[in-house]
Amino acid sequence: MQIKNYEELNFTQIDVLREIGNIGSGNAATALSGVVNKRINMSVTDVKILDYNDAMDMVGGPELIVAGVIVKLSGDMEGIMLYLGKLEFINMVLESISLDPVESYDELSELELSSVTEIGNILISSYMNAIASLADINIKLSVPAIAVNMAGAILSVPMVEYSYTANKIMIIDANFMFDGKEICSDLILVPDINSLSFLLKKLGVADE
Amino acid sequence: MSNMTSVGISDMKIIKGNGCLITYALGSCVGICIYDSRTKLAGMVHIMLPNAPNGDNANPYKYADVGIKNMISKMISMGAVKSNLFAKIAGGAKMFEIFDDNAFGNIGKRNIITVKDVLQGERIPIKGEQVGANYARTLLFCAENGEAKVRTAGSKETIF
Repeated sequence: MQIKNYEELNFTQIDVLREIGNIGSGNAATALSGVVNKRINMSVTDVKILDYNDAMDMVGGPELIVAGVIVKLSGDMEGIMLYLGKLEFINMVLESISLDPVESYDELSELELSSVTEIGNILISSYMNAIASLADINIKLSVPAIAVNMAGAILSVPMVEYSYTANKIMIIDANFMFDGKEICSDLILVPDINSLSFLLKKLGVADE
Repeated sequence: MSNMTSVGISDMKIIKGNGCLITYALGSCVGICIYDSRTKLAGMVHIMLPNAPNGDNANPYKYADVGIKNMISKMISMGAVKSNLFAKIAGGAKMFEIFDDNAFGNIGKRNIITVKDVLQGERIPIKGEQVGANYARTLLFCAENGEAKVRTAGSKETIF
């Protein structure tokens, strides 16, 4: 049976999605750890089905400034993947590739912004690669784009994209830890509802 | 500024006399403020999409067309006079520029066009606007005087 909205997901399916998220973000953490040469762990992935307004609070409030990297998914799975990086994380990355840390977002130069974009891209593509090979599907990724701005407006991009078909947003969310220190940075997968059904079917947990 | 009423996404609020309405981090969404200076009724709606598809009556304030019209009739039922009304609008940005996908994120532009069309159809003049570009806006609207303010990341508040 096709799922028509996110609330129809059963416990088994949510569990499978959480596991998918764990595998994706685990792969992403390994990739990033190779780039920055630091030990990176991830916290357990969360699957959340939220009202639009609650989703804003989840990322730390609508007006919080973040560096958002977005990649659009197409092929067998449509959706949007977002990486929300906060200043502490950005500085960790900049230092690891021998660039100077910054005090505020507007100090980020073109070069530094493109480094952050590339880090977001590495995280997102390694995450999606893991899912694609696990489910044996073909996922195409767009070129990444970056915006340094209010988290609420960045998160509203996937919401608006799917809001004709849904009144809630499903978020598969992971947090990373560096050298034992939790640096809040969210990796968020927002699949569209048809692709979600397809993915669940491929993984053998479609509803009978 | 102590008396703030928050307007969520796909949400609408009307206040009277004093206090301010606020909606946070408008990206491609548009905030529409409508004011009646005689009764000091101030309404704000935060829409996500231009036109309501047939059958979605559950969320009128998600859409520009239905949302604005609903707000106007609510304001009139509370004592506002239609010929007194004016509007101020903000939002409709394009947050991301994806290199190989031009259509992506054009919803902001479509939202603005629809909002303007609907307001024109209702014969409500737009007295101020802060729309387009590529950044988020937090919008405030005060019932005292119909003044609107926009706050963006890393720059000063703009009154309009």
